[in-house]
Amino acid sequence: MTDLPMTRRGAVLALMAAAHAAVAAQAAPAPPVSTLPGDSVYRLRPRIVDQDGHAVDLASMRGAPLIVSMFYSSCDMVCPLIFETIKQTRMALPPDRRERVHVLMISFDPERDTVAQLKETAAAHGCDSHWTLVRASDADVRQIAAVLGVQYRRLPSGAFNHSSAILLLDRDGRIAARTGKLGEVDPQFVDVLARLA
Amino acid sequence: MRARNVLAALLLAAAGLARAGDYAALPGGRFESVLPQGDLPGVSVPVTLAPFELRRTPVSVAEFLAFVRAHPEWRRGTAPAVFADARYLSHWSAPLEPPAGAGALQRPVVDVSWFAARAFCESEDARLPTWLEWEYAAAADETRTDARADPAWRRRILAWYERPGGAALPAVGGQANAHGVRDLQGLVWEWVDDFNALFIAGDSRTQGDPDVLKFCGAGAISIIDRDSYAVLMRVAFLSSLNAADTTSTLGFRCARSLPGASR
Amino acid sequence: MSMSTVADRMRRGALSIGCLIGLSLPVLAGAAGRTAPGDFGPPRGEPIHAILTSPPNVPPPVARNYPAKVIVELEVIEKEMQISEGVSYTYWTFGGTTPGSFIRVRQGDTVEFHLKNNPDNKMPHNIDLHGVTGPGGGAASSFTAPGHESKFTFKALNEGIYVYHCATAPVGMHIANGMYGLILVEPPQGLPKVDHEYYVMQGDFYTQGKYREKGKQAFDMEKAIDERPTYVLFNGAEGALTGDKALKAKVGETVRLFVGNGGPNLVSSFHVIGAIFDEVRFEGGTNVQKNVQTTLIPAGGAAVAKFRTHVPGSYVMVDHSIFRAFNKGALAILKVDGPEDKAIYSGKELDSVYLGDRAAPNLNAVAKATASSEKGTLSLDEQIKAGAELFNGTCSVCHQANGAGLPGVFPPLAKSDFLAADIHRAQSIVLRGLTGKVVVNGSEFNSVMPPMTQLNDDEIANILTYVLNSWGNPGGRVSSDDIKQRRAEPAAAATAAH
Repeated sequence: MTDLPMTRRGAVLALMAAAHAAVAAQAAPAPPVSTLPGDSVYRLRPRIVDQDGHAVDLASMRGAPLIVSMFYSSCDMVCPLIFETIKQTRMALPPDRRERVHVLMISFDPERDTVAQLKETAAAHGCDSHWTLVRASDADVRQIAAVLGVQYRRLPSGAFNHSSAILLLDRDGRIAARTGKLGEVDPQFVDVLARLA
Repeated sequence: MRARNVLAALLLAAAGLARAGDYAALPGGRFESVLPQGDLPGVSVPVTLAPFELRRTPVSVAEFLAFVRAHPEWRRGTAPAVFADARYLSHWSAPLEPPAGAGALQRPVVDVSWFAARAFCESEDARLPTWLEWEYAAAADETRTDARADPAWRRRILAWYERPGGAALPAVGGQANAHGVRDLQGLVWEWVDDFNALFIAGDSRTQGDPDVLKFCGAGAISIIDRDSYAVLMRVAFLSSLNAADTTSTLGFRCARSLPGASR
Repeated sequence: MSMSTVADRMRRGALSIGCLIGLSLPVLAGAAGRTAPGDFGPPRGEPIHAILTSPPNVPPPVARNYPAKVIVELEVIEKEMQISEGVSYTYWTFGGTTPGSFIRVRQGDTVEFHLKNNPDNKMPHNIDLHGVTGPGGGAASSFTAPGHESKFTFKALNEGIYVYHCATAPVGMHIANGMYGLILVEPPQGLPKVDHEYYVMQGDFYTQGKYREKGKQAFDMEKAIDERPTYVLFNGAEGALTGDKALKAKVGETVRLFVGNGGPNLVSSFHVIGAIFDEVRFEGGTNVQKNVQTTLIPAGGAAVAKFRTHVPGSYVMVDHSIFRAFNKGALAILKVDGPEDKAIYSGKELDSVYLGDRAAPNLNAVAKATASSEKGTLSLDEQIKAGAELFNGTCSVCHQANGAGLPGVFPPLAKSDFLAADIHRAQSIVLRGLTGKVVVNGSEFNSVMPPMTQLNDDEIANILTYVLNSWGNPGGRVSSDDIKQRRAEPAAAATAAH
């Protein structure tokens, strides 16, 4: 503990620091109340960019059901199957209801899935305007996976070891259904989707 | 004289709030994890850990109280369910009232979710340690930086696993290991940043069963060395969690990358 | 990359993994109008909350003739309990007991299973029910962190008696710590009525300390891998089903035993001394074997044994790999009361030979001797009394309660010239066992006496003192120091001197 010179200036500075500390130590004012339900995935505010280079606000997906999954472009085993399964799942709905259902695909691999790569991958899988493919920072990807309950890790080869899950978010971003069934449509998933669409 | 001391105390308090936490510097280097780090399952590939800093003790109740005071969005009742489950800080009597009693404030904070732990670490310009950083730091005992070959090291861990929770936790600040870090084993489970990279299949007997549809890329993780089952049990615990989950024996500590080092 | 290229790759990929998809069985049968046998259609009526019971009790029969939705709530609790007198162990349990709660449903029921992991637990757990058709028997869907609950639903398609257990890594350890139990799926018509139904489950336990070594014992993974159990027990503890906790029935009643074997390692040779199983559903399957003396129950398996009691007495259930019964604790009792029927059995009860220290809840003389020994005031009389208590149930099993032995099989201790000739040799034999030919009182014996590794120095000293002062033996006294000395001596070949 150092000995303070008791100059007037020193005293004023010390008092200012103390006042600052006192204010911070008091209960800070309440944050603005969100209208999103407490279990809405949209409470997360990651910085994501789509295949056209536009920043996407996750909460802007609110208002319609959303099919979500995670992938990476250089995956040739399961991820293509995820795309196909989601397509088939949307096709299980009649055209007018199908219209309302959008798809969000988040890449595990921001390093290699650049905006240009995302655009290529979208085209390769025949993704129409209902599909948004996005990239985010490693830290944000970790959070998105955490909130969706997806497990993944990067392998030294640059490939990813990840669990395959297709999720359905309701109009407010709550997880309404989840399936691990790939290559065929999950009837229970479609049931929930039909009710929400 | 008395006024000078009061002012000094106030200044120290101000300084304390800006950058809390006592960190130890760990050198990192070559490390063989119990989990396969290469492309092939079951094959050990050593990694090189960049030097990093790790909090010497888990975050205490007192420290977490200061955090939720300053960040009301993380108080129990305000933090949304997607970030913290219904048992978040459930042992506290009120959102700003931790359990009372002698020494209660110095216990490790528990009933905190991954999101809450992350937010705390961010508030002190830090982050959660990665699994590898944690595993590397915990491989040490009091005198050696890697004591994993010693059955006594494993027995101590297993003895803690065999003590069910429920009893009041002791305060943080147990015996320091060779890195000067305390309480890594035997006090509380701890979150790591990439807890959801540690997936073993929900049914642990499928190790070696390449359910490649379920776990694209390589199937679920299998450990390399059957003797490392004490570490495996920690991996199993972490992989049973969701990010918003809390448990009464799960706390956390923070880590910091050192400038210039890449993670 | 064109769409067709991706589609081509997909098709190729799909062909190679098509078999994997085909292998994943849908849990709820009924897709495309196909129903599996044992599927009696959707559940009817109000959901039912299953009654679960703690061992050795069994829930009442289902008594329902339609498939229902049954809600099962099972909680995992980690707790320290007594495994033997003065010995405690941390058990991981389903429902607070080892074995775990007994679950009873009807074939065709839709079971909504809730697995809860008590918030005070440290470990994650899950459950694999052998009666479930689905990945991992439910284990994949029930991986649960402490303070959380998992739910999964399955249809009980197959009737039978099935083991359930935890399947969290390391699986052997979770099972060895007591995480197993039984689920009965009744056939649609129910089971024939009997007077008593009981739940018995064998398990092997591995502790760092020796058998009956006092204090808190930790799990020993090496012993488990080497399959060298310290204890082999019915219903999780020594004495769980003996003394005042013995199973009960009356003469002339029918008893059905649901007998499981949680393992983790050993197969059981299940036998009830003095009884013959009228019917055994061996392996818990559909076929019945009749008039069975001993039935094999695989680790992770179960059987149903039914018999009618005819004479009163204590019927000792054992694993007939007999050293497990007498040296590791695999012993349980069914006490049958009622009038004797001399026409069927006229002999004495088996109590005094087999039960000894198990039937009596306390070992008073032993406790007294221990106290005196600690104070340094141990008297000859105290040693003899304590030795008598310890002799019964351990030595008396072979040498008989009166020291007479079994002619041609086990040598006598009564007025034994072999004993009197060399007391040091007798001490070594108790410690290290004896195989090979011996001549005692003019008769030849060639048998195997196992080393009494579960006895400590005080116990051996007291037993030998009792023997020396009984049945015409020359008298004398053995102290625990004598035994300590014998232990320190290099082990001579454990065969009889030529």
